[in-house]
Amino acid sequence: MSDMAMEGGSRPWVAETLTPILFGVGCFALWEGVVQLFHVPLYILPPPSAIFTQFVLKLPRIWEYTLVTGQETLVGFAASILLGVPMGLLVAFSPLLRRTFYPLAVTLEMVPKIVFAPVFISWWGLGFLPKIYVVVLVCFFPIMLNGILAFTSLSTELGRFCLSTGAGPLRTFFKVRLPAALPQLFVGIKGAAVNATVGATVAEWIGSDAGLGFYIQQAVGEYRMDIAFAIIFMLAALGLFVFWIVILAERLLIPWHVSQRAPVQGA
Amino acid sequence: MSVPVDIRAVRKVYPSKAGPVDALGPVDLDIASGRFVSLVGPSGCGKSTLLLMLAGLLDITGGEIDVAGRRVDGPLTDVGIVFQGNVLVDWRDVLGNVLLQIEMRGLRRRDYEERARVLLGSVGLQDFLHHHPYELSGGMQQRTAFCRALIHDPPLILMDEPLGALDAMTREQLRGDLERLWMTTRKTVIFVTHSIDEAVQLSDEVVVISPRPGKIVRRVAIGLPRPRTLELRQGAEFQRLVGEIKQIFLGYGVI
Repeated sequence: MSDMAMEGGSRPWVAETLTPILFGVGCFALWEGVVQLFHVPLYILPPPSAIFTQFVLKLPRIWEYTLVTGQETLVGFAASILLGVPMGLLVAFSPLLRRTFYPLAVTLEMVPKIVFAPVFISWWGLGFLPKIYVVVLVCFFPIMLNGILAFTSLSTELGRFCLSTGAGPLRTFFKVRLPAALPQLFVGIKGAAVNATVGATVAEWIGSDAGLGFYIQQAVGEYRMDIAFAIIFMLAALGLFVFWIVILAERLLIPWHVSQRAPVQGA
Repeated sequence: MSVPVDIRAVRKVYPSKAGPVDALGPVDLDIASGRFVSLVGPSGCGKSTLLLMLAGLLDITGGEIDVAGRRVDGPLTDVGIVFQGNVLVDWRDVLGNVLLQIEMRGLRRRDYEERARVLLGSVGLQDFLHHHPYELSGGMQQRTAFCRALIHDPPLILMDEPLGALDAMTREQLRGDLERLWMTTRKTVIFVTHSIDEAVQLSDEVVVISPRPGKIVRRVAIGLPRPRTLELRQGAEFQRLVGEIKQIFLGYGVI
């Protein structure tokens, strides 16, 4: 531990926590000031005060739709993990799948998959399930592709150590391969967490009668930018919540990994 | 307990785009039980390849290897291996890394915990049992790797340039640790290095390997008493042995 870190005491906390909060408050104040000063019309850019007012006034409806979108997001995201990780594992260890399914998956990864959303809606209608399919579509690939990488990148030397112990494939998997794969798995899961809310919102947008994606489209259609921005802030909170769950899981599962350690001073 | 090793006409040819590459051999080498033998040679001479074939971790192109009278035809398990890069796992502490060897073998962790503590204590790590690898210096990591290779009491220890990645002072300390560990256990050790000093300091016999394709060009018996103190290493006999081996490599133009 360096002397710098020792004597810091309360100062790192101020720097870590207070600075971003002050910066955020400053941004909003600037926004409010500019809009008021130049009399920007409400239907173009509402000031934060108007957005906050609408947020409070429409909260029952926003909250109801948040639960809809949140449910689609979390169920689809969880399903993607449950499908993507085992699939990554299968492809990593099956030469046949690596020659067949893997190139297909890489090709599909290059397609902007959200274009399938209208197709899914027209096939399966406006309900809950097609939304889940869209979320899975945008979350599955990053999880699976990183899963393949995670399960195939054990170092040669660690692999040789495992062989020299005479451990079977199952024991090697649970004691070495799986924990070694977790950091890379989380890279995919974090990428997918970002996609999950996008998938749910866009799917609602295309065809739905509930959810934040549906509501924002309605608000914009009526030039109610103040409501639209209130919904956007709610979506931001939802996205952060999903990401926070992943970060929490990461801290619990891989506290030993370099990404979880304190940042190097001066680096 | 220790075991003898018998290597007969072993060769290794690697395939490559430009045709097969003769990496090693043919090599004949018999190692008596309980000896500390070093393989010394320039980079790329196939000494690590020989060690990996001996461990059953690399296919043998030609010839055969017997360990304790049994033909090697797959990964040896009655062995402890130390690699150059430490292969500790980040998610376990020092004690947990040593005991990984035990758990991988399906043995009971509890039965070996005391032994692990004693072993780690013998290399000065008694206060670091619950530190993680990334909290340790390179030397401490490699000491942990030594203990992991010894915890299950294997009769044969294979070391592939275990001190190669360390700084000069740490190397010096770890040579001392290694000699002490070996003197108390008297296992068969095969030690790959490119440091002549290190080989002479640690070994009963130094096997000198030529540049690729590696062949054994001389076997130098090191009869110096142990432990090999600094005073002894500065003495005429030690320096004569180092000089003799250096002369061979000078002849090949590698130094």
